[in-house]
Amino acid sequence: MMYVIAGFAIWGLGWLLNLYLANSKWSDYRAMNIAVPLIFGLTVLLVWECFVIGFDVNPVFLPRPSDIVLRMAIEMPRLWADFVQTIVKGALTGYILGGLAAFAIAVLADRSEFLTSGVLPVGSFMAALPIVGIAPIFVKWFGSDWESKAAVVAVMVFFPILVNVVAGMRDTTSMQRDLMRTYGAGYWPTLLKLRLPAAMPFIFNGLKVATTLSLIGAIVAEFFGSPTVGMGFRISTSFGQLALDMVWAEIVIAAIAGTAFYGIVTLIEKGVTFWHPSQR
Amino acid sequence: MKSILPVLTIIAAVLFLWTLAVVPMNMHLTADQAQRSGAIVTPDTPVARKETNGIVLALKNPHLIALTYVGKRPNLPSPHQVGLEMFDTIFGKKITSKRSLVYHGWITLAPTLLGFAIGTLLGVLLAVGIVFSRVMDKSVMPWAIVSQTIPILALAPMIIVVLGAAGIHGVLPKSVIAAYLSFFPVVVGMVKGLRSPDHMQLDLLRTYSTNNVQSFWKLRLPSSTPYLFASLKIGISASLIGTIVAELPTGAKAGFGARMLVGDQYGQPILSWAALFAAALTAAALVGIISLVERGALRKMGMKPA
Amino acid sequence: MKKMIIAAAIAAGLGGTSAIADGHANSVSLQLQWVTQAQFAGYYVALDKGFYEAEGLDVTILAGGPDIAPPQVLAGGGADAMLNWMPSALSAREKGLPVVNIAQPFKRSGLMLTCWKDTGITKVEDFRGKTIGVWFFGNEYPFLSWMSQVGIPTEGGADGVTVLKQGFNVDPLLNREADCISTMTYNEYGQVIDAGVNPDELVTFKYEEQGVATLEDGIYVLEENLNDPVFVDKMVRFVRASMEGWKYAEANAEEAAGIILDNDDTGAQNEAAQIRMMGEIAKLTAGSNGALDVADFDRTVATLLSGGSDPVISAVPEGAWTHKITDLALK
Repeated sequence: MMYVIAGFAIWGLGWLLNLYLANSKWSDYRAMNIAVPLIFGLTVLLVWECFVIGFDVNPVFLPRPSDIVLRMAIEMPRLWADFVQTIVKGALTGYILGGLAAFAIAVLADRSEFLTSGVLPVGSFMAALPIVGIAPIFVKWFGSDWESKAAVVAVMVFFPILVNVVAGMRDTTSMQRDLMRTYGAGYWPTLLKLRLPAAMPFIFNGLKVATTLSLIGAIVAEFFGSPTVGMGFRISTSFGQLALDMVWAEIVIAAIAGTAFYGIVTLIEKGVTFWHPSQR
Repeated sequence: MKSILPVLTIIAAVLFLWTLAVVPMNMHLTADQAQRSGAIVTPDTPVARKETNGIVLALKNPHLIALTYVGKRPNLPSPHQVGLEMFDTIFGKKITSKRSLVYHGWITLAPTLLGFAIGTLLGVLLAVGIVFSRVMDKSVMPWAIVSQTIPILALAPMIIVVLGAAGIHGVLPKSVIAAYLSFFPVVVGMVKGLRSPDHMQLDLLRTYSTNNVQSFWKLRLPSSTPYLFASLKIGISASLIGTIVAELPTGAKAGFGARMLVGDQYGQPILSWAALFAAALTAAALVGIISLVERGALRKMGMKPA
Repeated sequence: MKKMIIAAAIAAGLGGTSAIADGHANSVSLQLQWVTQAQFAGYYVALDKGFYEAEGLDVTILAGGPDIAPPQVLAGGGADAMLNWMPSALSAREKGLPVVNIAQPFKRSGLMLTCWKDTGITKVEDFRGKTIGVWFFGNEYPFLSWMSQVGIPTEGGADGVTVLKQGFNVDPLLNREADCISTMTYNEYGQVIDAGVNPDELVTFKYEEQGVATLEDGIYVLEENLNDPVFVDKMVRFVRASMEGWKYAEANAEEAAGIILDNDDTGAQNEAAQIRMMGEIAKLTAGSNGALDVADFDRTVATLLSGGSDPVISAVPEGAWTHKITDLALK
C-alpha cells in the first residue's frame, strides 16, 4: 500500500517539477530540452517500480525496472551480439539497400511524369503489404539469417523514401530551374547542383521515418525464423520462457538504438540542410 | 483518370517481371518433385542441385519450366495462381463462410477502423496538448517518438493478456494495438498542422482580440486540415498493419493475419499470398477513401492539399 | 504515459484475478497451446458431442497461436486451465508461476527430428557439423537436453550443431536450408510427405526411441485454485468429460476431424491433413486414462535435469502435479 501511495506521489511531484521547469525562466535553455523529458521518463520508471511492488504484480507479467536493469547488466555480451545481428547486419543493410533502390527509382522516374505517376501508387501498394505476411515469404526465399531481415527492411523503407525523394525533386521553383538553364546546364548538372541539394530536406524527412521502420522490420522478421541470435529471436524465445525481464531488456535496447539512429540522421540533416528555414 | 494509364503500365511491368521470376524461384522444388515422378533432371541429385542457382537449373531443364507455374507449394506462386485463389475466395464462396476472404476481411477491418478512430482521437488530443502546453511539448513528444521504436510485436502479447485479465476480449484489444501504431503519425501531422498558421495570420486574429480557444477553432484547426489528412492516410494503413500484428497474440483465429499465418504453416502458400494481397488491397482502398474525403473536405474549405 | 496506463490496467486486472478465473461454478475456459487442430481433438469433441454439457459445464476453448504463452494467460486469469508441455510448465514453476498438472492425456511424445538421408546422417553422432531447425517457445527444452546428454554443443561449428530457430512451417527442410528439422509425428512430418517427399528420402529420430522424450500436452491449473472446492469440483467434471472426448476421438478419427474443421475459424485447414493428424494423435493418447503416470513424470524430470551446463530446471520439482482431480474424475 505504501508503495502505491509513493507511486502516486512521485507521479504528482514529477508532473509539478516539469510544469515548473517548462514555464520558468530557464525553459529556453538547451539543457531543458533534455532535462524535462528525462524527468518525465524517470518519473515513469519510478512510478512503474512502485506500482509493481505495491500491487504485487507477478513478474511473468511485468517485471520491475530494477530487475530489467540488472538483467541488462548481466547479459551485456548477449545483448551486444543480438544488437549486431539485428540492427547492424539486418536493419542497417536493409535501410541502405532500400534507400538506394528508392533513390535510384525516384531519379529514373523523375525523367518522365508518366513514370512518376505510375510508380507512386504501386509503391504505396508495396508499403501496404503487411510485414506479418512478407516476413515468412522472405525467410523462405533468403534463408533464416540476416539477409531475409535486410530484405524485409528494404521493402518497408522503400516507399517512404521514394515518396519523399519524388516530392523533393519537384520542390524547386521554376525561377531556380530557369537560372540553371541560363547557365547552359544540362540535365545532369542541374540534377546534381540544384535539384538534389534542394530535395535534401524532403529526403531526410523520409530517411528519418525510415529509421524506426527499419528497426521494427528487422525485429519482427526474426519472429518467423532466425539463427539463435538476434533481438527478435531473443524477445520471442524469452517471452516463451517467461523471462520477461530479458524481453524488456531487449525492448530498452531497441528503443535506445532506434532513438540513436534517428538522432544521428537528424544530426546529418542539420549538417547537410543548414540553409533550410527549419534549421535556422 | 490520367494517372490510370501510368499505373497500369507499371503494374503490367511488375506482373511481367513477376511471371519471369517464377521459374528460377520454383525450379529447385519443381525439379525435386519431377525427379520423384520419374523425370530426368540435370544435375541428378538434390545435393548437387543445391549448389546450382535457379536460372542455370532452368536452362538445363527446359522441360520443367511449365511445371514451375502449377506447383502446389511454390516458393513464388505465379500471378495466375494468386489471382485464381483470390477470385475463388472472394467471389466463389459465401460471404459468411470461414473460407471467404471477405469474411476475414471484415474480421480484420472492424478493429482497424475502431483502432484508427481511437488512435486519431488520441493523436489529435495529444497534439493539441503539445501545441498548447510547454510541459507536454517538452516531456511527451520525445517519448512519443521513443514509443514508436518499441517493437509492437513484443508488447502486443502483454497488452492482450492484461486486457484479457480485465475481461476485455474481442475487437477492443486488437483496436488498442492498432491505435498504438496509428496515433503517432496523427500526432506528428497535427502538431505540424496546428503550428502552420504564420505569424501574420496569428497577429491578425490578435487584433480582433480573439482568445486562444477561438483562434484554435477558427484558425489553427482549419489550417491543420491538409496535414491531418496526410497523416490519416499513413495512420489508416498503420492501423491495418497493427490489427494484423495483433491477430497473432489473440489466437490467430480469423482475419487476414490468421489466414496468412495458418496458410504458411500448413503448407498452403497460395492461400497465404492471396490473404497478403487482399490485405494490401484493403489498405489501398482505405487510403483511397480517405483521399476522396480529403478532396471533398478541402474543396469545401477552399484549400489545396499539403 | 503508456506504461502508466498499462500499470493501471494490470492493477485493475489483478485485483480480480481469482474471481475471474473462478467465474461461475460451472464455466471453464481452456487455453490451448496452438491453433485449432486435431492435436486438441478431445476437447473439441467433448464440446461438440455434448459431454461437457452432460456434466453441467459451460466450456470455452481459447485457441493458442504463435504469440501466446499459455502460462502467461493462466497467470493473468484469462483462463482456468491451460495445455502445456511438461518442460515448459516446470520451467514456469521455477520462474515463480505455480502451475500444477492435473491430468495427462498424452502418454507418449510425438516429437521427432526429420532429416534428409542424403546428408549422410544415420545416427545421432552425425549431427555434428549439421544445421538443425528447432522451434522455441517452450519446445526447445527437449532438444537442448538431448544434445547436452550426448555431449554435442549447440553453438555451431564443425563439432557441434548449428541451431536454426525454425519458423512455423517445414520450408527450411524443403529448401535445404537445414539438414534436419523438428517435426511432430502428427503434423509437420505429414506436411513434408505432402510436399511430395518420399519417406525413404528421409531419416527420422523419434525422441521416444532416443530415450529423451518428455511429457507433452497436459492440463495445468494454478496451484492456488486447487484450494477452492468449487474450482476442484468443476475441474473434476471437466477432466472426466475431456477424457471421454479423447477416447471418442481416438475411436472415431474421421468424425473428430470433421468437428475440428467445423471449429476452425480460419477456414484454412483441410480434412485429409486433420484425419491423418487425428490418427497419429490417437497413438500418443492411447494407454492414458488421463491420470499422470508418476514414472513418466520422473523420467521427464530426469531428462530435464541432465541438461548439463544449461539445465531447463535446476531441482526436482515439488508439488508440480496432483492426482486429486483425476482420482475423483475416474472413479
